[in-house]
Amino acid sequence: MKVYDGQSTEPEAPNRLKVGIAEYEVTADEAELTTSGLGSCVGVALYDTESGISGLVHVMLPVADEMRDGKPAKFADTGVELLIAEMESIGAAVETLEAKIAGGSDMLDFSKADKSIGERNAEQVRNTLSSYDIPVVAADIGGDYGRSLLFEPTTGDLVVKSANRETQRL
Amino acid sequence: MKVDVQSLDTFNQLAHEGAQAATDAMAQMTGIDTHVEVTRIMLVERAALGEELADHSFVGIQFGFEGALTGETVLVFEQDQSAAIAETLLGPDANTRMAQSSIKEVGNIMMSGFLDGWADFLTATIEHDPPTYIEGKGTAILPEMKAATDQVFVFRSTIEWGGEDVSFYIYMLPEYEPLAALMAEHSLEAENAIPVEKLAAFNEMTREGARQAAANVELMSGIETTAEVSQISFAPIEAIPKQFSDDIYIGTVVEFTGAPSGFLLVLFDEPSAITVAEALMPVTMESGELTSQHKAAIEELGNIITSGFTDGWANVLQQSIDHTPPRVVHDMGQAIIDPLAAQLGQFQRHAFLIDSKMMTEELAFQCEITALPNEQELRTALSQLDPDRTTETQADVEDIF
Repeated sequence: MKVYDGQSTEPEAPNRLKVGIAEYEVTADEAELTTSGLGSCVGVALYDTESGISGLVHVMLPVADEMRDGKPAKFADTGVELLIAEMESIGAAVETLEAKIAGGSDMLDFSKADKSIGERNAEQVRNTLSSYDIPVVAADIGGDYGRSLLFEPTTGDLVVKSANRETQRL
Repeated sequence: MKVDVQSLDTFNQLAHEGAQAATDAMAQMTGIDTHVEVTRIMLVERAALGEELADHSFVGIQFGFEGALTGETVLVFEQDQSAAIAETLLGPDANTRMAQSSIKEVGNIMMSGFLDGWADFLTATIEHDPPTYIEGKGTAILPEMKAATDQVFVFRSTIEWGGEDVSFYIYMLPEYEPLAALMAEHSLEAENAIPVEKLAAFNEMTREGARQAAANVELMSGIETTAEVSQISFAPIEAIPKQFSDDIYIGTVVEFTGAPSGFLLVLFDEPSAITVAEALMPVTMESGELTSQHKAAIEELGNIITSGFTDGWANVLQQSIDHTPPRVVHDMGQAIIDPLAAQLGQFQRHAFLIDSKMMTEELAFQCEITALPNEQELRTALSQLDPDRTTETQADVEDIF
């Protein structure tokens, strides 16, 4: 009989961390990062080309100022800022970060506004990244379909799956 | 008695944190890494409780609690998961008795954490009985509710295990009156509060809307259709898309305007969509694939269901509810609801989600009707709602076609 010794068992590699809406995860040990069901939401994967530290945030709305509710990962501006800060806190350097982004579709936008929420989300993500001089090296934005994402720190690839389309590797 | 959005939020968060404390306790004990996907507070018809358990086999623990809150709580694992938990704790040679006792132990530690959180928040004592090991199929595993009302408040957390596509559930079933009283006590925004009985009346009215929609489907297709479930739940806006799976759905979405405004989704899983569409078509289809003809039939069906549903509401509220022409969607469930939640999320932090299901005995078909109303407008509509009118939803079918 296995004796319970209070130690948690080591997970088998590669570990997989799931990121929900308005959530983020960072990893220094090459865990795969996944998020699903992006409609107008945007997934932002950041990767430190030097240390290999990776992070993924799933943002829902463009600007935190519009709705102060203490959930920074919900918004494109504060979500990206938070992800960068959390990655720096475990050893990443902002100078060597690269971004891959996906999502921001226009599906089911009933608003009468000029720009859909998806477009505004993607635009805000790009603006915030650019204020840190982080290059967006790949993007799959817009369209009228949903996406699910898997980021692989071992390859630096962002795998984008959609319901009715071919899987893409960015 | 009244509840306000703030106290619904507080209680929802409390249940969510309780579930997190419970899963942390489990991770520490077993090394099994779990994640609380979503917690929601639901007002649901007693008979419809636990429909998400389907006919799967579950094991778990149950115990009663009393004090500041009184009721029953259960933690249930799917049978296969319980074997894995027992194996993690006891090694591969564990026998049934040992497995049962390990489930009981894990469950006890988890649920003590869950209830302690509540007691701390309420600065009151909640005593609980020793846990009992339970096993059963589907809803039969849930305790009988000793409620005087047809509707019960339930806190339900869905917990995901290590990225696998398996879940287990914590249900907390407090007795209605003490919970409603407690929520009223913790109410901070008296002017925005909703009388609890109106929330229940609204649920009733939604069920009538769903029945009307089912009647329309029956009339159009000749397939006997029933509205199965109606529940109103409340969650932070970012938790709304999580109520849907990643599975592919096909259906229609409209924006409705009136009091309240919002979005109405009529969604079928793919096999159901094919079955229903073919039942509506004059000619038999050769392929089992979803074609543009199927989609056209689904669009028509979505339109009829939407009309039936909004007419049901309009009759009760005694005002007109208009809706946009249906837009056909065919995508991942979460991705469909995500932009709708985001549109509401620009103005509100939480959302009420109203679900009904329709099904038939005759065909393997299931349809989910989901309304996502503007929160502020829903509150206004509820405050003006006359509970006596909730059964007057017999829309004239002639008006619909």
